[in-house]
Amino acid sequence: MYSIKTKSLTKSFGDLVAVNDISFSVDKGEIFGFLGPNGAGKSTTMMIFTTLLKPTKGNASIGGFDVVKNPKQVRENIGFVQQETTVDEYLTGRENLLLQAKLNHIPKNEIDIRIDEILDLIELSDKQDQSVVTYSGGMRKRLDIAGGLLHHPKVLFLDEPTVGLDIQTRRKIWQYIKKIHTEFDMTIFLTTHYMEEADNLCDRIGIIDHGKIQVIDTPENLKNSLGNEIISLLIENDANNDSFLPELKKIKFIKKINEGDLKLTLFTSNGTEVIPKIFQISSNLGIKINSISLTQPTLDDVFISYTGHEIRDDDSKYDRRREHSKMKRLRQ
Amino acid sequence: MTIVYDTYTIFWRELKRYKKSRSGVLIRLIQPAIWIIVVGNIFSETQPLIQSVGFEGEYIEFMAPGVIILTAIFTSIFGGVNTLWDRRYGFMNKALTSPISRSAIAVGKMSAISLIAALQASLIIGIALAIGVTFPNPLMIIPIMGIVILFSLGFSGISVTLAATAKSQETFWGMINLLGMPLFMLSPALFPLELLPNWLAVVAKLNPVTYTILLVRELMTGVSEGGVPILISVGVILAFVIAMVSIASYVFTREVNKPF
Repeated sequence: MYSIKTKSLTKSFGDLVAVNDISFSVDKGEIFGFLGPNGAGKSTTMMIFTTLLKPTKGNASIGGFDVVKNPKQVRENIGFVQQETTVDEYLTGRENLLLQAKLNHIPKNEIDIRIDEILDLIELSDKQDQSVVTYSGGMRKRLDIAGGLLHHPKVLFLDEPTVGLDIQTRRKIWQYIKKIHTEFDMTIFLTTHYMEEADNLCDRIGIIDHGKIQVIDTPENLKNSLGNEIISLLIENDANNDSFLPELKKIKFIKKINEGDLKLTLFTSNGTEVIPKIFQISSNLGIKINSISLTQPTLDDVFISYTGHEIRDDDSKYDRRREHSKMKRLRQ
Repeated sequence: MTIVYDTYTIFWRELKRYKKSRSGVLIRLIQPAIWIIVVGNIFSETQPLIQSVGFEGEYIEFMAPGVIILTAIFTSIFGGVNTLWDRRYGFMNKALTSPISRSAIAVGKMSAISLIAALQASLIIGIALAIGVTFPNPLMIIPIMGIVILFSLGFSGISVTLAATAKSQETFWGMINLLGMPLFMLSPALFPLELLPNWLAVVAKLNPVTYTILLVRELMTGVSEGGVPILISVGVILAFVIAMVSIASYVFTREVNKPF
């Protein structure tokens, strides 16, 4: 039984294709994460799933209801916690939840019980009658998440649930998300650009970049797909560098090589055996290695291997490319 | 009836926010208070003019209904601005992804704005009484408040329509300033309809504010002015309100479905 199913989903704004022909499904009870940099199309996808945007092409269904044909039924079955905290500062914590309960048509005689139950879960019972103005960022976020699941939705959407929070608060929020997941057995769909968050929370991860899903798998499989070790090399600028790469590719344990300017990332197994071979090749070719390191792959590395860039350097990469083409034209 | 329940939910939220902003209540009173106290006294020498069209009392008693309506106009036409905040800070998306209907959000907002406008207007009536304006028949306050609520509902419709279409605060405030003051000035709020130049009187007769002021003034002072029967005034106000609330619900429902 699928909670979310989407086929050929596409959304364009004029010339810009924000979501480009994506298809996937999320099982009932799963925590599924969309991982990608800002502007990758995560939020747009989520806005289509929550009926805030209509797709340009393709379709999506949530809990069995089509987001375009049956938006009302979709809304009855989802909770949506947005990226920015949307609790009303002037109201108390309890009043905020009361508003949320009314918006989602929770039966009158159940409202108080549900609110007490959720306040207890997010450990805000003692602060419930204070204005939200007095709450810290983490407390506001907890209250916001609580509001999203007060009506026990079948699918809970969390858009960047911990963005802008410090690391301790972030961990605390992860605990709450895990707790509500086991307590209410709901499907959770979240977006994030924190590797650690995706690794920590998600049963499966979809890596999305430039509106396309690059890969979907469990965090473990993603990390294992790269081999179990990574060797990073920094080399000195030299004319012989071009012949270095083909030679490296001949080493049998190396699965994949990513090329930076002077940085090479080698996804490999048996790293301790590979390193001496690298030195042999480099000394034969007269290439100077400035530094070398051997690490275990993280989701970060998985991300780079699928998208060719780090999750945060989207802008700088763009600028560099423009600089390059400008320089090229000047030389001609 | 879910739609009634949903409308009430939004209404309840807007009023809660109003109640918590005590400074806002006072700030909104300053301008009309200045009008009634300062302008009311500056023009007190115009009493003979007022008397020439049949008013017996002081100028301030003549213009008090105008200031009550001024309060209603400005409180309600500013009232829609939180629609922009709601879209900017996510409450709107929260409401839009819940099962409540779009028009319930619009109508809930409008009814809250009109009640708030009426509350502000009643405070101005209090100030008017305090500075010596008298009511020949104090019971008339009840129908006057009814008219103020109804009239403010129409103006809140204008406000919600503008707020839903405006993409920025600047556009919204620009439009409000463009509309608010002229609608107030092109009415018999400060001078009798009979004393306005002809062309102005014609424009004033197209303005729903005119009928509201004539009606409130007649209820407050007992003097009928301009030869407009009460039923016509009530009819104009009702038509204005129905038109504005329908336009606002339609425009709001259409606009909030677009990305902000």
